[in-house]
Amino acid sequence: MASLWRKLTHHDGNGWWNLPHTPSNEPNPPHEGPIGGAWLGNMWRILTHGGVSHAGPGFYWLVGLFLSIVTLVEVWLFAVEGLGSWYIPLLLFLSLLKFIGVVAFFMHLRFDHRLFTYLFGASMVVGIFIFTLLLLLLEFGNQPPN
Amino acid sequence: MWAFLGSDVMFFGAFIATYLVYRGKSLVGPYPSEVLNIPITTVSTFVLLMSSLAMVLALHYVKEGEKNKGTLWILAVVVLGAIFMGFQFVEFREFAHLGLTPRTNIFGTTFFILTGIHGAHVTIGVIWMAFLAYSSNNGALRSDNALDLEIAGLYWHFVDIVWIVIFTVIYLISANDAPPPGMETITH
Repeated sequence: MASLWRKLTHHDGNGWWNLPHTPSNEPNPPHEGPIGGAWLGNMWRILTHGGVSHAGPGFYWLVGLFLSIVTLVEVWLFAVEGLGSWYIPLLLFLSLLKFIGVVAFFMHLRFDHRLFTYLFGASMVVGIFIFTLLLLLLEFGNQPPN
Repeated sequence: MWAFLGSDVMFFGAFIATYLVYRGKSLVGPYPSEVLNIPITTVSTFVLLMSSLAMVLALHYVKEGEKNKGTLWILAVVVLGAIFMGFQFVEFREFAHLGLTPRTNIFGTTFFILTGIHGAHVTIGVIWMAFLAYSSNNGALRSDNALDLEIAGLYWHFVDIVWIVIFTVIYLISANDAPPPGMETITH
């Protein structure tokens, strides 16, 4: 598990699944894209004007297109009947995709100092903890003692 | 800025949790299924997503030293943010017309507090961006001090991701929340 996590977060130049992680003030290594791989790396170089920066307008437009399509899929799911218990998990998953897209690429967290990721991640954990406590309080808080 | 955003995550997390805790607990209408307008909110969500795109393009061009393009995209953020605020104003007015105010029921209270606080964040962001557009236009915002724009951008993107969550939780998930069985809709 630790090895898989390391592969996902520390690019060593091998394997299409490896994500690059170079500081934003350094140029991208050759053939390295935001999601790794040779042909994806070439696409990345084209979108970033030769791979000299971490992202260019072309890549941002792609992320914007992705976010728009996911939003449309969400609304389509809203209109579809018969999803039953799949409806909320699917919406939450799509919402998470958009969340990650904005945080990782628009907010540059993917290429920023790791401390910022830890800071934001820790806040998310505390926020979700508060959220869970409130829901538990609702569920069990009004029960009379035995 | 990241520390502030971290605290804001907890801030909004508490309000979203409060909304969910009281979801479906209103004793009088209007209920979410009677007032929420998904097509209109989808458009405003798209507008806010595009403002994030404009923001990141503005930062790119300012860093590249392309003053005119940078200013143009910052102005695009201002305009798109203002359009989003317009949508929210129209929505609030429509809800008031349908009898839903913060004092009507628990849905109204939690809905208006959460979306109102988010709207306040958007308003602050629009004013901030307007100042930066002015700075960029008169040459005070350049590639060597683009960090000012980057920090404002982080704030703006954060406002966007909060809306991503609100749109899913309040609008898409709650839009089918009908009156409880046997409970008639009472509007004020």
